[in-house]
Amino acid sequence: MTGADRAAGVGVSAAAAMALLTAVTLALGATARTSGAEETAVPRLKAVEVPRPSNESDEAVLSRPLALALDENDLFMADGQDCAVKVFSREGRFVRAFGRKGKGPGELSFPSGVAVAGRTVLVADKLNSRIQAFDREGRPAGAFPTPFLPDRVYALADDVILVTGNPSGKRKGEPLLHIFDAAGRLRWEGLAASSSGDPVYDAFRNMILVCPAGGGDFYVVFRSGGRTVLRFASTGALLGRITVDGRHRSRPLDLPFKGRKKRLLGFCWAAACDPGLLYLSAPAPVDGKDLGPGREISVIDGEGRMRAVIALGRAVHRFVVEGDRIFAIDDEGELRIFEVAR
Amino acid sequence: MKKLAVLALVGLVLGAAALTFSMAPDVNEQSLCNRNHAECREYVFGLDDPWYKVMVLLTACDIAFGKCMLGL
Repeated sequence: MTGADRAAGVGVSAAAAMALLTAVTLALGATARTSGAEETAVPRLKAVEVPRPSNESDEAVLSRPLALALDENDLFMADGQDCAVKVFSREGRFVRAFGRKGKGPGELSFPSGVAVAGRTVLVADKLNSRIQAFDREGRPAGAFPTPFLPDRVYALADDVILVTGNPSGKRKGEPLLHIFDAAGRLRWEGLAASSSGDPVYDAFRNMILVCPAGGGDFYVVFRSGGRTVLRFASTGALLGRITVDGRHRSRPLDLPFKGRKKRLLGFCWAAACDPGLLYLSAPAPVDGKDLGPGREISVIDGEGRMRAVIALGRAVHRFVVEGDRIFAIDDEGELRIFEVAR
Repeated sequence: MKKLAVLALVGLVLGAAALTFSMAPDVNEQSLCNRNHAECREYVFGLDDPWYKVMVLLTACDIAFGKCMLGL
């Protein structure tokens, strides 16, 4: 090899090294930018409201809708004030209502939860302390008592009914979750309520939202507190904890609770599941320093990562999601149907 | 004189307590107080109102419960 060749070789090596260095630098920069982008930018989707047919019947008016459940045909809504379950088509057309105030079979007192299990509609008949079953036409089909005031009811599987209850605030460690079989036999109860000695503060700390995750599993989301979502099996076994992405915004709220200053961290106003995804609506500021229902829904995957944000045109209190459709109760207690534009 | 004043004060406190507890509701009424308190809280939860309002209403439920238990 001549000196000229060596010089040329060195020159080529130096040029190659420079090129490699430049490529690595560019690649690293690109990676940094990419990961930064993954960390901050979340697709922002808009939900467009779907017009509903007008409902002429007085029964179609919702007085205090507390819960909603969807099946392949209809949307069922528990109306606490009217002591009835109101059924709408998926397009929002009123179909029928069943139940009336009372204590007898088919009668309800402040129904606060509804679920559909095959051909049966389960209703959390709160002030009658029972879970009542109806057929799809609204005929009573049995009931079982609960030793607490049932709040929400979920059909996790054919023979597995999950019922939540708000703690009374008078005893320590009251269970928030209760699993019954279809005959009303208690199979499991757990998730002890936290107790600090301040019943009002504890009431907020123990506010939970539940959504079935499929396959009998279910998620429990605390409305205030940390960013942890719990996943349970239909047996009551705790399967895991998911830490939700920091991009889902929590909002602190100072309330004048008794004793030393305590701060609430508003994490979620309402929650719903669609296979594989968790939809959490973040609380939003209202009337200055207060927190109320929000207009945005965070889409969270099974690992807690935020996949998208859905912007709704209005604040919603409760909702269920199926595919691109969101069925929600707005601030005025009206049913709203949204379609997510992708 | 000071001792007499303390004794009078203690007597007053005990008398007031006796008067209050003699008017306290019986077991059935206590059960009704508990029931009403639970229902009050559930109605508040059902409102799903902003949290400051919920806090005020829950406090009102607790005050009503306290009054009920004291038979006031």
